[in-house]
Amino acid sequence: MAISRRSFLKGSGLAAASSLVAPALLGNPFVRTAFADTIGDRYFLSIFLDGGNDGFNTVIPVNDGGATLRAAYDAARATGTDGINIGPAALAATLIGTDPGSGAQLALHPALTGLKQLYDLGKVAVIQGCGYPRPNLSHEESRVAFQAGTPPGLGTGTGWLGRYLAANYGGSDIPGVCLRSEVAGEFRQTATSVLAARRLRYLRFPYDGDYGDDVARKRDAFNALYQGAAAQALPIAEYLGTSGVATLLATESYAGLHDLYQADRAAFDGAYDALDQGLAYNLREAAKVIHGIVSGVPNVHARLMQCATGGYDTHSDQGSTTPDGHHWQLLAEVGDSLKLFYDDCADMGVADKIVVIVWSEFGRRVPQNDNGTDHGTQYPMFVLGGAVQGGVYGNHPNINESALSDDGNTSYSQGAADPFRSTDMRDVYGTILKHWLGMPHGTILSNVLTLDGGDPAERWTQENFDLGFLV
Amino acid sequence: MGNANSILTEGETRHLMRRAGFGAPPKEIAKLVKRGLTRGELVDKLLKFKAKPLKVGKKDGIDEVYDRWLELMLKTRTPLLEKLVLFWHDHFATANAKVQSTELMARQNALLRAMAKGNLRQFLKSINRDPAMLDFLDTLRNRPKTPNENYARELMELFTLGVVDEAGQPNYAQEDIVQIARAFTGWRLDDDGNPVFREDRHDYNADYPERGPKVIFTTYGGFGPGGVDFGAAGEGAAEIDRVIDALLSHRDSEGQSTVGRRMTRRLFEYFAWDAPSTALVDALLTMSGFSSTWDIGALVKTILTHDAFYETAAPLHAGGTKKSVKWPIDYVVGTLRLLKVVPKRRKYAGLALEDSDSLRGHLDDMGQRLFDPPSVFGWDWEAAWISSATLLARFRFMRDLAAARGKGKQGFHPEKLMSMDLQSPAQILDAASALLGLTDQLSPDERTALIDYLTDGGAVSALNLNDLDTRGRKLHGLFALLLQSPAHQLH
Repeated sequence: MAISRRSFLKGSGLAAASSLVAPALLGNPFVRTAFADTIGDRYFLSIFLDGGNDGFNTVIPVNDGGATLRAAYDAARATGTDGINIGPAALAATLIGTDPGSGAQLALHPALTGLKQLYDLGKVAVIQGCGYPRPNLSHEESRVAFQAGTPPGLGTGTGWLGRYLAANYGGSDIPGVCLRSEVAGEFRQTATSVLAARRLRYLRFPYDGDYGDDVARKRDAFNALYQGAAAQALPIAEYLGTSGVATLLATESYAGLHDLYQADRAAFDGAYDALDQGLAYNLREAAKVIHGIVSGVPNVHARLMQCATGGYDTHSDQGSTTPDGHHWQLLAEVGDSLKLFYDDCADMGVADKIVVIVWSEFGRRVPQNDNGTDHGTQYPMFVLGGAVQGGVYGNHPNINESALSDDGNTSYSQGAADPFRSTDMRDVYGTILKHWLGMPHGTILSNVLTLDGGDPAERWTQENFDLGFLV
Repeated sequence: MGNANSILTEGETRHLMRRAGFGAPPKEIAKLVKRGLTRGELVDKLLKFKAKPLKVGKKDGIDEVYDRWLELMLKTRTPLLEKLVLFWHDHFATANAKVQSTELMARQNALLRAMAKGNLRQFLKSINRDPAMLDFLDTLRNRPKTPNENYARELMELFTLGVVDEAGQPNYAQEDIVQIARAFTGWRLDDDGNPVFREDRHDYNADYPERGPKVIFTTYGGFGPGGVDFGAAGEGAAEIDRVIDALLSHRDSEGQSTVGRRMTRRLFEYFAWDAPSTALVDALLTMSGFSSTWDIGALVKTILTHDAFYETAAPLHAGGTKKSVKWPIDYVVGTLRLLKVVPKRRKYAGLALEDSDSLRGHLDDMGQRLFDPPSVFGWDWEAAWISSATLLARFRFMRDLAAARGKGKQGFHPEKLMSMDLQSPAQILDAASALLGLTDQLSPDERTALIDYLTDGGAVSALNLNDLDTRGRKLHGLFALLLQSPAHQLH
């Protein structure tokens, strides 16, 4: 994409156009070419569990296998009042595969029945031990690391998906939408436009309700003001300008997707209402975008999406095996919402065209505190979709007390023979970039993900973008 | 080169009133300029305030307290106090979403007011014991056998040192968090919500010998391998004060005051612009004497009288190279004050303009809810305020304001603010933009676009604003565009 946002907008004559209905820009054949080279007819969705999900109570060893995983789990997490231990009996309905490192039988948290159904269909990859070297226990620092795809302190303010977008899209494209009020860190870059809207119906430009015959003039002036800002040398002014222009264009295409979905997909629309969960409502917004693209709505091309759901900072009152427990409710929301969303996608005929990643900024401490857990390190991610090769990938971290750091956390390891070897986040991202988003292996290494230097047993010095969950 | 003794120009006066307050109308600016004040004199005037707590009714929920704070900001004569309280609310970010107590949140707000320009050492020691904070960062849940490190971590990461120093070197180790968390065991709230120290709930060395002595900063902080033993002078309630003393004595990898540098940077970025050089931070820190006195007011005065502060006043089209994105609260309160629009308190909706959502609702959509920052990190500033969602929220609010044509104080009445006898589009634009302090900020291209709007692309050469249809259509429309314009998002 040699053409810059600025020159393209100027060259397009958009500044002089006054058509409200169909800005020609986004339908430009040049823009469509960009899609053909990359994601094609696919979709990608990133779901952030905000606060640090307790991975050790999300994917749980049911027995010891060839190691002592269950014994170590029982030693660290109490039963009874204030205990957060989840026993084998409670896990009987949510068994998944075995831990590749130890052979221990694994199970999902009993609240994750929706996800378990998808797992049984072979559509869910459970990727254990995800992390990065020298893990940071700060929410902010660690979230930024996962979003940037670089360990703390090494990032440049861009996100791993952002660098992918920057390599493939230009300023006049809108290849992504974050279904929240801000652009998510993993999408951050300055080469192209990513929308942010908690609800698509809010993407309507607020013209004065009176004097409707003056609207076209207002639009021209507004557009000229923001085009002017977009041409400024000062980055913050340019960013404000490009955001304003992209926002105007988006209001002229995206807001109608809400009504369209309600009209065309009433049954699923009602199913999200019936589930009545925050994450489900966010996923419904993603479904509206997909439905818009599937239906051929002009100028709607945002195939990369993001949404978030919070409450995972379970320092206290985490709960255990009863459905009124805090963590139980959080995970039930995740599993049930994902199941409904997957069904919706399947009904739209795109189940095989969408991949979803579910991640958090870190896991939690192995030993519980009073009745919760403090900030931790490696944790399991989920990747799901019709094209995903389901199963368990990556090893469970070593949770034996003797293996834990002084503060009770598991260690990051890349030791080739280590049965508890961690899965570096960059191998997960690289596998997605290579096998789903169409980026060549070498380009990933040169443009998006940078190998660490240092000890190969403790740093990410050798990539593996063929983890196997996408082929 | 200017300094505290430089006489303020008109542009500098407008800038100072905007950044250290919520802006001032043209008449007030003219009056101030006429007095020939120096930077130092006007800043002293702005810093002259006595903080009183918000008036809180017995039945108030958090929304009512929020409305009371908004009302105060809309009419206060000491806006710099409010600007500082907003800064501290972001810095010591505490969310009612977790605390769930209007009373404790209001008490914290009173503390932020009382300490806003006070002594940082005393401020931090008070925050240590602030009931809302004790709850928010889990000090109440921090027990000897099951320590909760939440407050210990954020105290260093966010409230004082920062994770890394100006040179990118770490300021503390995980072990420091562990030990500091020990100091904060034993604190509870009594039935009146006041902090009490319970000796029997405290983590003593004698009870937990395996955790070693209460020593911090053996690796980082410039204290040498011996570090700081905060338990040596006697274990108990005073440990948390000694932790603050240690933090304020912390030296970074370059031997400079870590907290002094970080707070100088934060306050400068808040009042002026993002990412100042270390050299500028150090110059401000030295001039203010902040790292020995910890006098916040003196640091604020140093910043507001320094040349670097005035750099964002220069228009971008005339060589300006610095701008900062207005916080939503600033964008809303500043505009309402300049245009003399007074929102009304409505049943259920709270404080609102006519035919519009509550101010709280608008601000939510713009990404800022007072008393409920998104996390302990507070709000992300600058570019993070800007997205298609938050921009639309900004545009919606300004549309509602410009379209509030009804009678009464909560309507927008340009005829009371400028002459309706102006006919020339350029003069109308000058008068309207002057009310917002934007006249010098608009580039020639922006002026052309707005005059094109007024004249329907040159179809008319003069406007009759005394004609209500023309006024309602074009003058209110012009204000909507000015209020939504990029220039009005920045300061």
